[in-house]
Amino acid sequence: MSLRLPYKKYPASHGNGFYYVAVLPVSIALPLANSPRSKRFEAIIDSGATRCQFQAAIGRAMGFDIESGEAEETLGINGVNRIYMHDISLYLPGGVVATRAAFSYELPVPGLLGMEGFFEHFQVIFDPVARQVELERIHQS
Amino acid sequence: MDMPNQDKRLQLLRSAPMDSWIALSEDESRIVAVGATYEEVVKNSESAGFADPLLLKTPKVWMPISV
Repeated sequence: MSLRLPYKKYPASHGNGFYYVAVLPVSIALPLANSPRSKRFEAIIDSGATRCQFQAAIGRAMGFDIESGEAEETLGINGVNRIYMHDISLYLPGGVVATRAAFSYELPVPGLLGMEGFFEHFQVIFDPVARQVELERIHQS
Repeated sequence: MDMPNQDKRLQLLRSAPMDSWIALSEDESRIVAVGATYEEVVKNSESAGFADPLLLKTPKVWMPISV
């Protein structure tokens, strides 16, 4: 079963301008049974991201000891960012995924859904004409 | 979400305080809570009676996102 999600409009920097973004509401939790889930937050579907990345504030609130995670530095358009890696439970359409994700205090949005942890679980079609993204869960045996 | 609602949501985002966390109602038609932190917006949305909001973080300045 596929899921069609209209692109969302985000304000541009000038006047009444806007741009479209492909987003998905998700939630995260510690990778332990019965761990409480975060509130749903809007994450950007980002085919250019190697892995999933989340705002450290969400992780900290859900019980992650952010700075205890394996630290890495990544080079993005906005410069060098420090990230901390943690195993997480990522709640996606079709069920929870166990993955290793990055947390960053510098991330300007709540979350990014990247190749590892997201795209490996979905067939993703970006449709710029209909301005929607179509997701179909891949259930690997 | 159809286009009129998309435009309404866009206006909501424009009206939201910058560099903040915001909670939208389930149908994304209104802002039900605001907070300086994730914890604060969760607390404020629950106090307002919204157990299942959709959370967003507004940037310091709206601009295309590239990380």
